[in-house]
Amino acid sequence: MKQLINRTPLSTTFMSILFLLMFSAPWVSAEPSRINGAEVFNNNCARCHNARSLDEFSLQEWAVIMPHMREKAHLTGKETDAVMAFITLVKRGETKSASAKEGALVLNGEALFNKYSCQGCHSVNGKGGTVGPALDTTIADKGKTYFHQKLKNPQFNNPASPMPKMPLSDDEIEALADYLSTF
Amino acid sequence: MTIKSFTAITFAASFSHVAMAAEIDRERFALGGYGDVKYETTEAEDSSAYSARFVPIFLFSLNDKMHVEAETEISINAEGETEVELEYADLHYFLTDTTTITAGKFLIPFGQFGPNIHPSWINRSPWTPGIYGSHGSNQAMEALLPILSDVGVAVQQTIVLGGHQKIFIDLYSTNGPGVEADDHAEEPVEGEHQEEESEHAELPELAFEATSGDNNKDKAFGGRVAYAMLPGLELGASYYSASYDEEESLDFRAQGVDINLIGSHYLLRGEYIETQTDGREEEDGESETHTFKRDGWYLQSTFQTGKLWPSLSGTELVLEYAETNKLAEASRWMVGVNYWLDARSVIKVAYDDTDLEEGEDDQRFAIQLSYGF
Repeated sequence: MKQLINRTPLSTTFMSILFLLMFSAPWVSAEPSRINGAEVFNNNCARCHNARSLDEFSLQEWAVIMPHMREKAHLTGKETDAVMAFITLVKRGETKSASAKEGALVLNGEALFNKYSCQGCHSVNGKGGTVGPALDTTIADKGKTYFHQKLKNPQFNNPASPMPKMPLSDDEIEALADYLSTF
Repeated sequence: MTIKSFTAITFAASFSHVAMAAEIDRERFALGGYGDVKYETTEAEDSSAYSARFVPIFLFSLNDKMHVEAETEISINAEGETEVELEYADLHYFLTDTTTITAGKFLIPFGQFGPNIHPSWINRSPWTPGIYGSHGSNQAMEALLPILSDVGVAVQQTIVLGGHQKIFIDLYSTNGPGVEADDHAEEPVEGEHQEEESEHAELPELAFEATSGDNNKDKAFGGRVAYAMLPGLELGASYYSASYDEEESLDFRAQGVDINLIGSHYLLRGEYIETQTDGREEEDGESETHTFKRDGWYLQSTFQTGKLWPSLSGTELVLEYAETNKLAEASRWMVGVNYWLDARSVIKVAYDDTDLEEGEDDQRFAIQLSYGF
């Protein structure tokens, strides 16, 4: 550590700034109160690598992997929890759909759009994420058949697509398509 | 604010944060990692060879606050022997929502290539960018730094500025480098460049391999600060400094800046590094310290052609340039085509042309299959 004291002004200045920032950080952090896990997932994974499919690992494995990624990607604890909440929604939804199709299906496209945090990666009306394409004209340009195919198998037209397979029924996909047709 | 107050606040924040993940039936263990198989020809060595690596990462979640991880690289060397290297083995303690303490053997946060981008399923090229030491193959270009991994402690802080803006801060202290053993000394080169070569050979060779020991009491230290505008931009500045001799009189220092730009259909990654290595020179019977300065940079661009043209789904074009200046000057062009089988598996086909100011130039061709798991 003697270099810290004895060496170049550049090193002393650089390290001083780091120390200052480090210990002032808890008081200047402006983390939003509501964090979108899907948005965090896609904004941060793609900084280094393709976002991995959520289907690759079980929910329990994701719970062990996320602390590793928290440190790698400089995520906050709240962001990590938000990502886990998103993964849980998708993974537990899969189980629910596959098992009994219990309960009434939610056939409100807007509610489904919000429930599965589509806006975390996609925008409509200029609002939302930029990782995936804007969805304003998807139905008009590519049609409902393409939309159904994409949601049932997100990698069918792009093997590197990070889009997760959402646990949606045909009726729910149709409701989403109807909602997106309104833009 | 007193130290007592600071301590109270950080510990209160630490223990009041109840992770949502606790509601999940959490397993303790997960296995990840990557591997690759490569066919490579090199003109300088007049050879071609297949090579393979398997790099498992073991992840243990002890509780919501503590996480243990280890990565080993298992490969076969040219003599057919299996080599096992411990790339990192550390414990993360999540002190607060934004502060993480790491202890053990870890990848040093200098730049972005070493700590985050070097795994072959992440790196868009089958080779390291030239200014970094080879990671799985030899290269003609004399690197400025290896992929730094060492034993020590680190603190990481994330500052959320809002609006997708963040500042990342990393500070660390580790054992640092030592002096490379003499068996790596260069053979004298015959011919007219002999004098210059012998002068160049005076650049001390440092051993950066991590050890659970040190040849002096002085510890290496350094840090990185970065600004991120998510999801598209990260700019960083890094610093590393260490004494490497037993007398703690000779230092090695490195500074660098890095950029990572992520567009809708392109990636741009680059780093600039300067190093200063103190060396001892004997002149007229007296010993003097001379500082050898080097610098170099690389810029790698990836055009995700599959995103632009659906008929080319999964393909990318990669173009990279790297150069090292002052002592062992060299430049290198690389061009490659990647095809992603899925989001974690890629086939890379690449060619590079290295031009050395002194010494034999090299041209390499490689096909690599790399997979994350």
